[in-house]
Amino acid sequence: MHSSVVQAINDHQEQLVSNWKKEMARVQEEYFKNSLPDDLVFTNNEEFIDVLYSSVRLERSEAEGKIKHFAERLIQTDWPLSYFTQGMQAFRRIVTAYIVPYINNAEEDSMNLIVEVEEWVDAIVNQLVDDYSDSWVKTLELQQMALNELSAPLIPVFEKVSVMPLIGAIDTERAKLIMENLLDGIIQHRSQVVLIDITGVPVVDTMVANHIIQASKAVRLVGAECILVGIRPEIAQTIVNLGIDLSTFPTKSSLRKGIESALELTQRKMVRIEHGAEWRA
Amino acid sequence: MRIPILKLSHYLLISVQVDLDDQTALQFQEDLLSKIHEEGSTGVVIDLTSVDMIDSFIAKVLGDVVEMSNLMGAKVVLTGIQPAVAITLIDMGIMLEEVPTALDLEQGLEKLQQELEG
Amino acid sequence: MSIQSSVEVQTEWGIVSARQAGRNLAKEIGFGGVDQARITTAISELARNIYLYAEKGEIVIEAVEETRGAQKKKGIKITAKDRGPGIKNIREVMEDGYTTSGGLGAGLPGVRRLMDDFDVDSVMEEGTTITAIKWLR
Repeated sequence: MHSSVVQAINDHQEQLVSNWKKEMARVQEEYFKNSLPDDLVFTNNEEFIDVLYSSVRLERSEAEGKIKHFAERLIQTDWPLSYFTQGMQAFRRIVTAYIVPYINNAEEDSMNLIVEVEEWVDAIVNQLVDDYSDSWVKTLELQQMALNELSAPLIPVFEKVSVMPLIGAIDTERAKLIMENLLDGIIQHRSQVVLIDITGVPVVDTMVANHIIQASKAVRLVGAECILVGIRPEIAQTIVNLGIDLSTFPTKSSLRKGIESALELTQRKMVRIEHGAEWRA
Repeated sequence: MRIPILKLSHYLLISVQVDLDDQTALQFQEDLLSKIHEEGSTGVVIDLTSVDMIDSFIAKVLGDVVEMSNLMGAKVVLTGIQPAVAITLIDMGIMLEEVPTALDLEQGLEKLQQELEG
Repeated sequence: MSIQSSVEVQTEWGIVSARQAGRNLAKEIGFGGVDQARITTAISELARNIYLYAEKGEIVIEAVEETRGAQKKKGIKITAKDRGPGIKNIREVMEDGYTTSGGLGAGLPGVRRLMDDFDVDSVMEEGTTITAIKWLR
């Protein structure tokens, strides 16, 4: 920024800061309807103006680092981005209104000064918006990753028997992932029977049913079998009302019954141990 | 190129280790059928663990081999179909529904035993 | 990216080498195992169609890039070209189970399902060009 502008901003620091704080109080009332906690607004305002002032004096890269650091701290506390943009706009209004009359001398055209202040403010706003949107993108990616990991675990419960609980809505992208997890898990755990539990799937429409049928056919190709469990009454109704044919698909109402028939399929069964047997014999 | 066919008492074991081209697949079909005829085998396990692609032609040859062997009195189990291969087949609409499958050679032999004895 | 390879399909060995070229490029672009299998299988189907119906032709496999808005997509494009008899009724060959060769009739409709973009351009007595693209997710 031009040195005369810097100088002016520095020379009038006290007045500018106090004007800016008044302006921010108005913003807090009118724009945020006092929804932000007053004490935080106070401390954040203090730091904001401090960062702004030091950024005027520092080298460009240093100033960027300082602003980034401040922004990151506020991003972590979910502080709204509009607080920053409003704050920067307020500062611009104050500076242009206050300073221009003072430095309007022969060499400096006041229009140029306004442009310089604009550019400086815009650069900071851009940086803030970038920092914020980067952090949103990062959060989204992390959530997507977390969701994908949660998406479809294959849990080995007995030798040769595994369970895959499905939770949440199933779209095409997720169905692909589920299929891959399912098949890889079967190979990894050498499962002969997989119970797919759809208790946690809110809606089973033709598309979801189709994905499940496709998955079970792929499971058969790699050499295992599927049993569909956890079919709630309303799901059974929609399946039949939609005319989805699951008649060739082994189904059981509950996970427990599914496990029993999985054990049967692998030539095993559960027996109760008779505690009295020893002394009776 | 020829795919080796191993004999284990009444069973025949085949582990396909090469990228299946059409000629090899057809040659294999012929070799297997004459081996079943020669040995009077009752069961066949074809292990596909090392096969990384099955297109509609190879799928047709495999399906045919299973059907033809059944006609000659030998049950066939396909084993070790890789997840990526299975997904691709399903995408193509090829289900191989009549063909028995098992996870690996060991479970394939178990399955044959069950089907022939039980 | 300008990686491109072209394979003549005139014998059954052409089918195998087209497949291998496809798998190598798919791996290089960064496709996962399942998509590699899908791409290789699609190439196999297209190459076999050339071999069966046109006797000879070529398969071109190339890496492609597309920028849509701020997002850059990478993908693999397969082009199958022949100067064979052409396809009389495209709608018919795209139906599941339609076959003139005694196969499973899963060829072209299968390729369409395995890939993301699919396009057939055929002129009777002049030849057929089929393009199919798979995008990296």
